[in-house]
Amino acid sequence: MSDLRVGADEARAAAQAVLDLPGADGVEVTVHVSAAGVARYANSQIIQATERDELRVYVRVVTDGRLASATTNQLGAERVATAARHALEAARSSLPDEEFTGLADPDVVGRADPIGRVDAATASVSAADRAAAVRSILAAAGGGRAAGVVETGVQAYGVFNSKGIDCFDTYTRAVATALVDDGEATGWGESSSHAVGDLDWDAVGRLAAQKAAAGHGAGDAEPGVYEVVLEAPAVATMLDYLSYVGFGAKQVLDGESFLSTMTGAEVAAPSVTIADDARHPRSVGIGFDFEGVPRRRTEVIEAGVARGPVTDLRTAAQLDAPPTGHYSGSNEFGPYASNVVLEVGDQTYEDLVGGVADGLLVTRFHYVNVLDRPSTLLTGMTRDGTFRIRDGAIAEPVRNLRFSQSVLDALRAVTGVGRDLHAFAPDFASFGSTVAPAIRAGEFRFSSGTSH
Amino acid sequence: MEDLLEAALDAAVAAGASYADVRSVESESEALSVRGDVVEALERSDSEGFGVRVLVDGAWGFAASYDLTNEAAAPTAAAAVEVARAAATTAESPVELVPEPAHRATWSSPLQVDPFSVSLEDKVGLLAAATRALSVGPAIRTARGTMDVLRQRTLFVSSEGAAIDQTVVHTGAGIEATAVEGSEVQTRSYPGSFRGHLEAGGYEIVTAMDLEAHAPQTGEEAVALLRAPDCPDRETTVVLDGHQVMLQVHESVGHPTELDRVLGMEAAFAGTSFVGIPDLGSMRYGSELVNITSDATTPGGLGTFRFDDEGVEAQRVDLVRDGILVGFQTSRETAAALGAERSNGTMRAEGWENFPLIRMTNVNLLPGEGSLDDILADVDDGIYMATNKSWSIDDKRKNFQFGCEIAWEIKRGRLGRMLRNPRYTGITPVFWAGCDAIAGAGEWRIWGTPNCGKGQPGQTMRVGHGTAPARFRNVSTGTSQ
Repeated sequence: MSDLRVGADEARAAAQAVLDLPGADGVEVTVHVSAAGVARYANSQIIQATERDELRVYVRVVTDGRLASATTNQLGAERVATAARHALEAARSSLPDEEFTGLADPDVVGRADPIGRVDAATASVSAADRAAAVRSILAAAGGGRAAGVVETGVQAYGVFNSKGIDCFDTYTRAVATALVDDGEATGWGESSSHAVGDLDWDAVGRLAAQKAAAGHGAGDAEPGVYEVVLEAPAVATMLDYLSYVGFGAKQVLDGESFLSTMTGAEVAAPSVTIADDARHPRSVGIGFDFEGVPRRRTEVIEAGVARGPVTDLRTAAQLDAPPTGHYSGSNEFGPYASNVVLEVGDQTYEDLVGGVADGLLVTRFHYVNVLDRPSTLLTGMTRDGTFRIRDGAIAEPVRNLRFSQSVLDALRAVTGVGRDLHAFAPDFASFGSTVAPAIRAGEFRFSSGTSH
Repeated sequence: MEDLLEAALDAAVAAGASYADVRSVESESEALSVRGDVVEALERSDSEGFGVRVLVDGAWGFAASYDLTNEAAAPTAAAAVEVARAAATTAESPVELVPEPAHRATWSSPLQVDPFSVSLEDKVGLLAAATRALSVGPAIRTARGTMDVLRQRTLFVSSEGAAIDQTVVHTGAGIEATAVEGSEVQTRSYPGSFRGHLEAGGYEIVTAMDLEAHAPQTGEEAVALLRAPDCPDRETTVVLDGHQVMLQVHESVGHPTELDRVLGMEAAFAGTSFVGIPDLGSMRYGSELVNITSDATTPGGLGTFRFDDEGVEAQRVDLVRDGILVGFQTSRETAAALGAERSNGTMRAEGWENFPLIRMTNVNLLPGEGSLDDILADVDDGIYMATNKSWSIDDKRKNFQFGCEIAWEIKRGRLGRMLRNPRYTGITPVFWAGCDAIAGAGEWRIWGTPNCGKGQPGQTMRVGHGTAPARFRNVSTGTSQ
């Protein structure tokens, strides 16, 4: 894989060429550039291998209190100028936006320092390297049919505006996943970091194979309320959805977030602190949002108490709160917490399992969806390793179950937080990360079962 | 652009590809979102680039670039070949392709009014008027209207001699009202949820929706839901509107019959399927009323084209006939696993930057007889649910739970009280076996789903589903709260 085709200087030059667009009261340009590759394997061989360069330029224009934007995937001066002109024309067709508080002013919001989470080795991984990693995973997976991805890439974001915002940040990421199907059961392993050297290919394949082997002879578990240990991949999914339904100020203003009615209240066990923190050592992100506002660590739930949402300039003004630097690029969706971290506790994995007299262990969830936003009610399935825990030890595998559970109710029932943090990447080349340990929760509702 | 594609094709073959295709995609789009008096999104976008797909030593490789200079052709093709060579080091069974004629053609989807010819002012004005009409009272916290327009031109050339130029135009819009009272939140939308409804065609699709006229009822239903009783937990007869049948077909028939899933190629991400190749021709998928096709020729469908993204001509094939599984959605690679002589043409890619995958085209439940009123008239005691709200299904597409925006009791053949937070659960073949009525052609229409996710790297695909309201017996219902 080659390095990025566009660096800070090229991005800045392209942006500056349109920042003084005649007829515009303000112009903001965001540039995203990436170079990434993935080796996707299934049935124990690579089935789709990809390398690609991408670029996206977003131009947002303000004129006479009206806004619009245009995007292009070409950085040539003529194309960026055309995008700016299109945005201006569109803005003139729009309605006055009385909620708009202006483009970010660096003298007001401050200047963002880049995080620079870049690993040179990750940026130079080749297709042959990724194929070798897949071979290592397959070897460690034993005789089962294995499927997953090995993915590496480098991403950069720049934000520039006519008030002087000038930010550019770069990160790398490496991801490995493995699902092993040995004919009787499936198991799962995964690992993610900004540095490819942190990934242990063998361990990913070995864990998936061990989970599959442990799943032989699964029986039914009756639907009902169980004490659970949720391994880190399952916790990360719950956190992603909790952030999606409730951490953004737009959801608060629309009355759809739990924070709309519960800010200041105890919403989780005292051992639970959840923050958005792009600068956490295990996070992968950038130091500013898509308005160029410095991204600040924001504790949404602190020691079990709901504190407040993440904001952008627009919603911060509406809430009379400081901007936290979480503009998502969409006023329709609002600000977004994209680097969620559940702070570690003091429990080993053995402590978590050992504290369960009769319950279930969940490796990960599948196809989760939102049933009710204010109550953070989700449904989804378990997959790739669900086990009964009896007398503090994993006893036997069980077939997959559907859960219907409020995330906050589960967090209220937390009786243990793991001390080992795991990092999770969103889907290929997407923005953000999730960092989570395993947890033990006293009550978790499963509503039905399935045949495998 | 044609020169770039031919240069990339030649370079791929020269570098050792036994097969190569090169596909460029040039797209322009508009996305509008108006909430009350605020234009939340007014965005014009364009994108263009090309991707090179090659077979080397029996393995696939793919590389893509936004660089459209002729100088980019050879390096991108070389990257695809290098990627394929690396992939071949794990190959256990080399990829083989079933034959397809080398088509050379030009095609465009039909439309009446070019949606890009309508001014943005008119579009904003239409949505603003509709959102004003949605705001029927103080309980309406959010009144939103959206519109999406896409024109996409795809050029495809292959080392077998194909040369295809096709353009599609998709247009859609919708409105939604969200009412809030305390911690109770209820949303109603029209004509469908999640950005309304899209079809292949022009601005006439938006005009025909008459959003402003439908807005008051949409808003009033959102408000009424706040104080409606919850949908009861029970086993009963359920009638679904066409929009929810669309989602039911999509999740429990469309995805399980994608042959790449059946063969385990999606195992780690989207999952596999509860059906297998040995089930073909014998497995009872549903009642004898259930007939489902994969049809890339359906007028107006988001999955309608003349050729798929590996150059296979659009087809209509049966997936379920008289309730029996009789077909899968295939590609040139996977068709061989069925012993088929030809792919049925379902390989599609999002944009220029993605590897094509088996994706639904238009997976349609064929109409039955009569009207929705006829279907309701035969129900002494049941529940009618409308407009999809949530969906979840297991990794083999068997255990599902779907929620709708609104429901009504059915008592002695007529709609009664409104019910909120309706959901139903089921096991796919059991549920479809309980289908005992499908409304006729008069209530059958094509729906557009613009957000179907699959693959790694993840791809979002636009697919179509033709459906009519349908009735299902012995369904487990309840509330989603």
